[in-house]
Amino acid sequence: MQVNIDKSFPIASSAAAGWAFLQNIPGVAGCMPGAEITETIDDKNYKGKVKTKIGPATMAFNGDIVIKGINADKRELRLIGTGQDTKGTSTAEMDLTAWIVDADGGGCELKGKATVTVNGKAASLGGRMMTQVADQILNQFGQNFINNVITLGGDAEAAEAAKEQLAEQPKELNGLAFAWSVIVGFFKSLFGKKPGDTA
Amino acid sequence: MATTAEDLAREDKLQGLGCSRKRKEDPRFIQGKGTYVDDVKLPGMLFADMVRSPYAHARIKSINKDKALALPGVHAVLTAADLKPLNLHWMPTLAGDVQAVLADEKVHLQYQEVAVVIADDRYIAADAVELVEVEYEPLPVLVDPHKALDDDAPILREDIKDKDNAGQGPRKHPNHIFSWEVGEQEATSRAFDEAEVVVKEEIYYPRVHPSPLETCGCVASFDKVKGSLMVYITSQAPHIVRTVVSMLSGLPESKVRIISPDIGGGFGNKVGIYPGYVTAIVASIVLGRPVKWVEDRMEHLSTTAWARDYYMTGELAADKNGRIKGLRVNVLADHGAFNSHAQPTKWPAGFFSICTGSYDIPVAYVKVDGVYTNKAPGGVAYRCSFRVTEAVYVIERMMDVLAQKLGIDRMELRMRNFVKPEQFPYHTALGWELDSGDYHTALTKVLKAVDYEGLIKEQAEKRSKGELMGIGVTTFTEVVGAGPSRNCDILGVGMFDSAEIRVHPTGSVIARMGTISQGQGHQTTYAQIIASELGIPSDEIQIEEGDTDTAPYGLGTYGSRSTPVGGAATAMAARKIHDKARKIAAHLLEASENDLEWDIDRFKVKGVPGAEKTMKEIAWAAYNRPPEGLEPGLEAVNYYDPPNFTYPFGAYLCVVDIDKYTGEVKVRRFYALDDCGTRINPMIIEGQIHGGLNEGFAVAMGQELPFDAEGNILGNTFMDYFIPTTMETPHWETDYTVTPSPHHPLGAKGVAESPHVGSIPCFTSAVVNAFAHKGVTHMNMPHTSFRVWQKIHELSLDKRE
Repeated sequence: MQVNIDKSFPIASSAAAGWAFLQNIPGVAGCMPGAEITETIDDKNYKGKVKTKIGPATMAFNGDIVIKGINADKRELRLIGTGQDTKGTSTAEMDLTAWIVDADGGGCELKGKATVTVNGKAASLGGRMMTQVADQILNQFGQNFINNVITLGGDAEAAEAAKEQLAEQPKELNGLAFAWSVIVGFFKSLFGKKPGDTA
Repeated sequence: MATTAEDLAREDKLQGLGCSRKRKEDPRFIQGKGTYVDDVKLPGMLFADMVRSPYAHARIKSINKDKALALPGVHAVLTAADLKPLNLHWMPTLAGDVQAVLADEKVHLQYQEVAVVIADDRYIAADAVELVEVEYEPLPVLVDPHKALDDDAPILREDIKDKDNAGQGPRKHPNHIFSWEVGEQEATSRAFDEAEVVVKEEIYYPRVHPSPLETCGCVASFDKVKGSLMVYITSQAPHIVRTVVSMLSGLPESKVRIISPDIGGGFGNKVGIYPGYVTAIVASIVLGRPVKWVEDRMEHLSTTAWARDYYMTGELAADKNGRIKGLRVNVLADHGAFNSHAQPTKWPAGFFSICTGSYDIPVAYVKVDGVYTNKAPGGVAYRCSFRVTEAVYVIERMMDVLAQKLGIDRMELRMRNFVKPEQFPYHTALGWELDSGDYHTALTKVLKAVDYEGLIKEQAEKRSKGELMGIGVTTFTEVVGAGPSRNCDILGVGMFDSAEIRVHPTGSVIARMGTISQGQGHQTTYAQIIASELGIPSDEIQIEEGDTDTAPYGLGTYGSRSTPVGGAATAMAARKIHDKARKIAAHLLEASENDLEWDIDRFKVKGVPGAEKTMKEIAWAAYNRPPEGLEPGLEAVNYYDPPNFTYPFGAYLCVVDIDKYTGEVKVRRFYALDDCGTRINPMIIEGQIHGGLNEGFAVAMGQELPFDAEGNILGNTFMDYFIPTTMETPHWETDYTVTPSPHHPLGAKGVAESPHVGSIPCFTSAVVNAFAHKGVTHMNMPHTSFRVWQKIHELSLDKRE
């Protein structure tokens, strides 16, 4: 099961701040709900894990993140993450390219293109909802990313608010609230909004 | 013969042929007192569970079982490397190929068995499965069979990539399995060149799964002291399993005992040998303890025996009056990663060449190409004789397409092309000898029963109002009762079947057959056959099947072969006993055998009232004072090798109403007329027909096993896979005609699969017919609301005024 996702998130901060944070791999990984870097092998190779809980089912993926390229001129990062769930029944791979651009009305924008491939039980059982699930995960990721950048480079008041929001962020992917946002997203997509549109 | 009230009472008491005797199986089933494989509990029994691949195609880089073995209660974790020294990491298939028991260096399909864990209980086994660490290197996946023979297609079967024959003839590509041709290619081409009208249609028969209520499983128990192996197994063919197990294990066949206990439905799903069975047997031999393996629903839907998956191109040539001049069918068959379809050895595409149907077609040509893909192996006969459902589907669809092209009513076109009653036995262009039939009478009866003219009128009115109503029809002929051993064998064993009947001194009977019931009611119907033949009440006749230590060798139950073959063996064995009983009666009555006549349950001396001996009296005499020169006892065995197949047929008509805004298809009426020759138990026949129609409805309207581009199966839970319940199931109307088979001892033909085979194209016919006035000639199954709505939307029929 493969889905392609295009996303963009406007950030009320300078492009330099955005780019600075984008190169902080553990920081970026931490923006992914339920994800963290567990080991830094070198500046191109990391080990990480993602834990998600939906209803009674917990899935934990262990995997590798490989930085395929960092282009400072374009402020662009490409990484490939591969993982297998700890029960050996599913695997996931994400090929992500993310870059920062200056926004028209000031501030900057985080743009991302990702191809996500899921195999095994997760694909058999969850394949039909995958576009929506990936969309929601990336929306949460985007919000965390924005808050992190603003913490670094926004004005003092905004930075304080962003910090607070980050502190409130649950440590793992929250199942029920998450499922609800998936369902809401799905119905929204039925009524005219394309699944790939940003929030 | 029976005319007096007393005679009739005697006959009624037998509950023989033609009686709607209540099923003897039901009291235990409806009380939950059946004994299925999962009910078997042996002392010291261990449990097996499988580690399965998340990938459809990948190389196995490493398997680490340390953590699993460290879990308390785990006895063993076996991989291909462990089975290799026993030469059991691969096993032969019924189709001449080999199949990995546990993935050997590489996985070929998602959910493939990679390792088996043996533990104290089912829960520990499941926990340990999660602790086995397997490292994979994903490989390019081949999902679309149309791309299998491309130059740049990934090669799936590295184990046989250099072989130019995979067990079923020459092959032209490493992913090619076989090409199978029947008929006259050149003569058929000529018929098409010269024809006034030609039609062609691409028809896909999706991959579906038989989905019996009970999944597959076994309990293997090896006795190290006796050196004998006993296996309780969900098998439709226990004797063949014994032969295969003996061949694979090296144990003498006499030390292998296979028991098929009660089986919760088979539908072709339980014919094959699966890795789970083999690993449980190996584990029991290695550990010296009983081992149980029972798969769960996802494992069942994902890996054990799907059916169909045929991409068919049908072509008909005809004259302007609709008389057919030729038939041509080309098929691309997706067999999955191993060719382990369950068909008689010489039939790589089963009996697909029955695709000339009920029609008098002068010349035909069929070609089937089988290819490997990264999907589960299988290709079983899901409630049908081997590949007959596909054959009936293609010819019945093509008849509709031709009728539409010519503007001739579909019923009329069929009437013009039917094989006529006087043409039987009829030799088809593709080599079958249809034993008997009366197709015109059957269809005429149906058209009258449903008021076909009235339906056509109603449809015209509805169309004028923009409403969608469809009328579907099929007039099918099936080929069942495999089969004559000159044509049919499995692993070299001819497809005969057997019955052994013992009449006890007091006149009760125990009889054992080589077949095995999975819900067909053999305990009920076989007893009725013996009752009529021997004049012993059915209730005093005990039928046993499924234990290879006690039953005579038989090829099992599938392809509607129990009545045509096992039922014939039963009648023939009973007749041997009848002959001996006549000798004993003659001795007792001091009369010549020729002066005796049989009357329901006794022999009478012709013209001498009161000089008679009942079968009970004869049975006693057989053990008490048999005539000189005659062995004591009263029993017989028969191995019946049928001279021909049997050809049940039927005429079905279906009426559907389609909601043009939601695409929902409502089956308003379904009228099924079946002719299965002599009817043994009308109530069981009706039950079988209801079941077959239900499964036909399931296939046509919702069942499919789709895959995504990475080879992930997307239909392997009952959330997705359609099993109709009472909520969805339409009302069925059944009817019958009786055209006995001339070569079967009772004239019976077999019935349980006809309704499945016959109804599926009938549903498609009805759905397509709802759109026929818009030029639609075919729509692929399943006809779910969404898919039907897509067609409605494409034709802009859902515009609100």
